[in-house]
Amino acid sequence: MSHALVVRGLVKAFGNHVAVDELSFEVPRGVVYGILGPNGAGKSTTLRMINDIFAPDAGEIVVLDGLSPGAEAAQRIGYLPEERGLYPRMKVADMIGFIGELRGLSRGDARRRAGAWLDRLGLGQWAKNKVQDLSKGMQQKVQFATALIHEPELVILDEPWSGLDPINAEVLRDVVDELRAAGRTVVFSTHQMEQAEKVVDRVCIIARGKKLLEGKLLELKHRAAADGLVSLGFGDAAARATAEPLLADPSLVSDRRAPRAGDVADCEVKLADGVTSQQLLAALVTAGARLRRFEVVVPTLHQIFVDRVGGSAAIAERRPEGS
Amino acid sequence: MRDLRDMFVIARRELLERVRSTWFVVITLLGPIGMVALVLVPALIAAQGADGAKVEIVDRTGVLAQPLFDRLTTARWKPAIVPADTPDQVEMDRIRDGKINGFLMIPGDALTGGTILYRGDNGSSQVVGITLHDSVTDLVQRQRGRQANLSPDQLDRLLAKVTVVPQHTNGKTEGASGIGSLLIAYALVFVLYTVIGTYGVGVMRSVVQEKTSRVMELMVATVKPRSLMSGKILGVGAAGLIQILVWLAMGAVTLAYRAQLLAMFGVAGGSSGLPSIAAGEIAIVAAYFVLGFFFYASMYAAVGAMVSSEQDTQQVQMPVVMVMMVGVVCLQIVSDDPRGSAAVVMTMLPFWSSMLMPMRYVLGGATLGEVAMSLAILLVSTVLIARAAAKIYRVGVLMYGKRPGFGELLRWLRY
Repeated sequence: MSHALVVRGLVKAFGNHVAVDELSFEVPRGVVYGILGPNGAGKSTTLRMINDIFAPDAGEIVVLDGLSPGAEAAQRIGYLPEERGLYPRMKVADMIGFIGELRGLSRGDARRRAGAWLDRLGLGQWAKNKVQDLSKGMQQKVQFATALIHEPELVILDEPWSGLDPINAEVLRDVVDELRAAGRTVVFSTHQMEQAEKVVDRVCIIARGKKLLEGKLLELKHRAAADGLVSLGFGDAAARATAEPLLADPSLVSDRRAPRAGDVADCEVKLADGVTSQQLLAALVTAGARLRRFEVVVPTLHQIFVDRVGGSAAIAERRPEGS
Repeated sequence: MRDLRDMFVIARRELLERVRSTWFVVITLLGPIGMVALVLVPALIAAQGADGAKVEIVDRTGVLAQPLFDRLTTARWKPAIVPADTPDQVEMDRIRDGKINGFLMIPGDALTGGTILYRGDNGSSQVVGITLHDSVTDLVQRQRGRQANLSPDQLDRLLAKVTVVPQHTNGKTEGASGIGSLLIAYALVFVLYTVIGTYGVGVMRSVVQEKTSRVMELMVATVKPRSLMSGKILGVGAAGLIQILVWLAMGAVTLAYRAQLLAMFGVAGGSSGLPSIAAGEIAIVAAYFVLGFFFYASMYAAVGAMVSSEQDTQQVQMPVVMVMMVGVVCLQIVSDDPRGSAAVVMTMLPFWSSMLMPMRYVLGGATLGEVAMSLAILLVSTVLIARAAAKIYRVGVLMYGKRPGFGELLRWLRY
């Protein structure tokens, strides 16, 4: 089966600011794919190029069955732009149906589905109201409906969680799960790692327009876990004193630090190169240090992100994202 | 096919959004009322005229007061003759106190060229002016005749009405009333100018609002900008044309039943005073009207595409308004010499052909071949400008807040 989206060597510069720099990634079909990055990383610019809003300076984008971005591809893509915007004086149901029609649905079909989507999003009784009469959160949901009404094979959501309250954030995650269950492909961008972690299959972390890391979330986590981060808790002060020489041994432990806030562990250590967690455990047991806790840390997406992007790259560029 | 379908979907949205607004309905229905008023009010005013005007006559010639009194009474005024030595100030006071409308001062040398002066609170009324002028002139002339010992018969022959009528013709067609043709031509230009002013600006605002409401990112991702632009121009334009059609229909009905309408108000109605136009001429006028309308709507769309906020539109639309003004200013050139080379050039250029060619044709200055050619030029340039507008829009899509320079615009067009 072909990919839902292939991006190869994508470059886009605005003036002398390079927003996207030789970016390449592939999105298999039926996958929820997260493009993660700090502000100004080039996420929105990339998604806009896929939607034919910007033309790339270099590189190639292939959508679905060998299509280039453009009118034909647009019929099979759903898009939630970062700049949310609807026609303020249009009735809610008409607005959704209008986009549905432009995305290739017949008029009757578009109307029927618009109604169904409004019910699905809990906005049924607002169908005949004007868009401008809705709250920001409700408008956001209407915007989702415009991205999904034509049942696109590829759904592109730019910062979908921004401006959503926790309940609506969950509604959105449910919708994404449904899309995956239906075998459709979702590509979204975000810097909200907690949200992304709950729905994403594969991630691509970018910063300053360059790809830092890409792969299945689970594999990335396991790989990061294999990096040898171990969280330790000791039975008492004596046990801790016993363990101290081992933890200070550079052939066993390369780094140690205080546990993260809220953690019940006493400390976190990073194993030296070539040392397995098994070896550290054996050494501690042999030394007789009584352990309350020994855990190979599987980092959250947030930790992976912060580790990889680091402090410097997280600082936004002079230009805001997408400009 | 898809592009065409998209265009109509967008045009329908634009049309419905306008037609459904309360203002559209109010203006469309109030327009005809205004038009009825336009026909009725002058007739009513003219008919009532200066009925009952209280005017006092100060006659220092001693011969004009009585005949003038008789004439004004016949015209249903309420004249009165006051002593010849009544000072102006007394009469002025009577006007101030509201006892009379005004007074006519006939000086002793009135028969030999002295100025006869009327002062009154209705002194700016045309009817009052004409009535007084006609009556007094006739009386003075007759008095002069009598002093020259002319018989009443000789006097009547001397004062018999002289009629001079200018007619317009190019030698081939039957002469048409020059004033009438010019009137129609001016009316056309006026209506076109007004409608472009409202709906052209409507197209421009619609484009700008797409940016301010930020919906354009969604739209650009969904349809081709060309479909978006042409749909907009078509949709907003259709709303304008619907309004005009309603108005024209109501106006035609009003004119057709003018006499009956006036009778309802107790006034005897005359003819409408407008010359009749042939069906072929109506078709040409309509074609130019519609095409001219869409031409300028495209220009305005391009202006809207260049700017990012409504404030900016003020300056950028100035060139468009100026170009339109040139057409209005040049009306006279074409009407004075419909077959001159200036007229030929002006009616071929798309900027002005819609305003000037219908007039030139009605005045018999243009052949059907010339009309066809100028229509073709207008059509092609409309499409080209709409496309340029789409390109400008497409490239300027996400440039908020920054207006492009001229060089930048040229680069966008090549994009």
